[in-house]
Amino acid sequence: MLLWSDMADMSGGVTDWRGAALELIRRMVPASGKVLLVGPHPQTVVDEVIAQAGLTGEESAAPAGLAEDETVLTPLAGRVAVLVRSYPDACALAERHSALDVFCGRLEAFAADEPYDLVLALDGLLRTHSAEAPAASWAESLDALSALVAPGGRLVLGVHNDLGVDRLLEARPADRDGGDDQWAPHGFDPSYPSGPGALDAALESAGLSVQRCYAAYPSRHAPRALLAREALAFDLPDALAFPLSARDGDRMLVADPLRLTRLVFRHRLGEELAPAWLAVTVRPPLLTKERDDADAEERAYTALPLGLVQEGGTLYELTHTGLRQLPDGGERPIPAGRVLEEILVEACAREDTATVRELLTALADWVEDGGDPAAAADSLVYDGVRFAPIGDLQGPPAPPDPRIVLCRILLRFAVRLQAAGHHHPWPWPLDADELTLTLCGMAGRSCDPGDLDRARKLDAELGQPAEPAGHAPTYRDLLGARDRLADQLAAALARIARLETKLSYRERELVRARGKLRRTQRKATAYRRTLGYRLSRRLARPRRVARKVIRLLSG
Amino acid sequence: MGRANRYGGMMDESNHWYGHSRILGRYCEMPDETPKRIQGFLQHGWNYLHGFPPNDHWCSPGYPRFVWSDVLRRRGWSMGRRGHYLIGAPWIYLLHLEPELGVTTKREGTIWYPFHGWEKSSVRGDHDRLAAEIRDVETESVTVCLYWLEFANPDIRQAYESRGFRVICHGERGSRWESKGRDFLRKQLIQLRRHRRVASNRLGSALFYGASVGCEVAVYGDPMQYEDERPEYGGTARRIRLWPELHGVRVDPGLAAEVAGRELGFEYQATPEELRRMFGWKRVRYA
Repeated sequence: MLLWSDMADMSGGVTDWRGAALELIRRMVPASGKVLLVGPHPQTVVDEVIAQAGLTGEESAAPAGLAEDETVLTPLAGRVAVLVRSYPDACALAERHSALDVFCGRLEAFAADEPYDLVLALDGLLRTHSAEAPAASWAESLDALSALVAPGGRLVLGVHNDLGVDRLLEARPADRDGGDDQWAPHGFDPSYPSGPGALDAALESAGLSVQRCYAAYPSRHAPRALLAREALAFDLPDALAFPLSARDGDRMLVADPLRLTRLVFRHRLGEELAPAWLAVTVRPPLLTKERDDADAEERAYTALPLGLVQEGGTLYELTHTGLRQLPDGGERPIPAGRVLEEILVEACAREDTATVRELLTALADWVEDGGDPAAAADSLVYDGVRFAPIGDLQGPPAPPDPRIVLCRILLRFAVRLQAAGHHHPWPWPLDADELTLTLCGMAGRSCDPGDLDRARKLDAELGQPAEPAGHAPTYRDLLGARDRLADQLAAALARIARLETKLSYRERELVRARGKLRRTQRKATAYRRTLGYRLSRRLARPRRVARKVIRLLSG
Repeated sequence: MGRANRYGGMMDESNHWYGHSRILGRYCEMPDETPKRIQGFLQHGWNYLHGFPPNDHWCSPGYPRFVWSDVLRRRGWSMGRRGHYLIGAPWIYLLHLEPELGVTTKREGTIWYPFHGWEKSSVRGDHDRLAAEIRDVETESVTVCLYWLEFANPDIRQAYESRGFRVICHGERGSRWESKGRDFLRKQLIQLRRHRRVASNRLGSALFYGASVGCEVAVYGDPMQYEDERPEYGGTARRIRLWPELHGVRVDPGLAAEVAGRELGFEYQATPEELRRMFGWKRVRYA
């Protein structure tokens, strides 16, 4: 397509594959053999493939002495190819990587000289056809794609799930607003996989066998985690599932992704409702292949990770026993227990102040015993005995006062609690600051507004805003907020009426008291004018003068 | 109390009855002699409803209702009440402040609390017959504690005194401005710690207070009736249904103490700082 680019709008267009997918690719690029990328891929993915192919190529075929020189990538020539439909994208790729074979055109029209050992189509098949020809069905595109895979070669295919949890959350699905790329609208193709089972069947019938199928979370736009089907079959620990439930972008949503995604994992529908799948498949080798090769395949299969999770800038591999930090970090078990924020929210919903007091006191003790100063209620799990941070938290350089740390945790919790519109027992005029101070009081630690300011500063230092600014509220939030406001208005009116009643009552009391005072004063004045009073004063005067003189003399 | 505005006065009053606000003020280390206004409604006595009288429309929405235990919150919620906040009974704060007050080495006798009316509603019942029943049941000395209204009635007093009972009164329940009721609960605590046994013809605060400081408990005799008692809340039959094990001449003391602990909300004791903030005793900046 001459006047078309799939790279123009990264947020709505090409999936922003990051650390987890890059790591997977790193492990799959073969030591020798050819690699093909089909469809638009983000720059980082193309770079990674080239780097891997270049590196592995260097080991095997680079002439001595040239290994240091990065501009010379002769062994790469012909090893990595790209197939895109957009001419401008193709030109940009060719310009950027001179050693890359760039093909431009439709997938069905692509005739390769020889098949490839690794075919990557992470973006899926929807952007491999052009407006020049009627759009091929998904199954037809898959057949065309699988024909490019050499026997024993692998295909990695991304598939967006039409019933992914992120689709359930969208108030306005992006592929239904008649964009320019919707000349053949998505959603009407009967061959498009309708679930993990259908995907497996389609891949099998295209002559591919599935080695691993990963579920990509939290969204199909920017997946940060890839979890194998085998991993999702078990109950995911909260410490792992909680961070996989983030909202992305500023699109209007129907509901809070956190709550819905947590439910998806709890119901063990993580595979069925994943925003996207990434299937790693292999074309069965020809029977004439050596036995050694088959063993190698076997080994390669076991080398495929159970899951890859990116947290912040760090990448972890999910193993059967825990999380291993990549590239060479140690392995640590995933802490058990529930996310503290969820325990607190539940207690608040039940107006269970005793549990809140107990938890906050335990938390305050933990903080004072040297708990992680960067922790927060939404990044801690509690198993009833001890707290454990989720992931590696980046603390401030100088350890702050434990009181400030606690204050910051509670401030963050208060802000999130009120922003999410959760029910809680504290009366509504309490703003987040007041609520924080009350929570500090509940933990048995008195804090003052000065501590709050310092806590806010610490929060800014840590750079994880409690509520990202400019978030579009979800539809359910809006409805909830409207109901809440109606309740608050009713309560406020009742309160005003009560205060009015009270005011009139107090005013009446005041009028009565003043009247009484005036009457008493009048009575006193009248009494002072009486003869008896004046006489008694006269008689008393000499005695008073005498007393004064005596007092003066006695000093 | 303003006559033209019957509830206008009552709205704040009940927070200060029995010296409750003073006890909480002391717990919160408030310096003032006169208790400050509590921004909300304190439950002032145990009941089997939601902690407040049936006609609680003076508890306006938007103010928290400080209740003693979770069951009251649940019941209140189911009856359309909102904004409950659990802090336990003021009694538990008194016990916290006065762990030793009135403790004696030898406790003896029974303190008997006949069900009482109040300033706006009197109770119908035969005190003479009740006194006779008490005489039949109790083996040790008996102290009868009357509410001040009944204490002021010589006929009622006579009914008990004639059977050789000591008749006492903890005094009026007082108000915010008067110091009359300030020591009500303290006096009650001293008396309860002096007696071995506490009894009444109705399950009520005094029995739970007693059970919480180690008294044996008994509920027997004519439960008497308010003149305008509302039957739709279940009345005595409901109390017997809900707490059958607490009714009778002899009651398992361990069980009574356990129920008392629950009903008085010992596990919900709040910290002083929390109470200061919830009562509006700290300067609150409104948004």
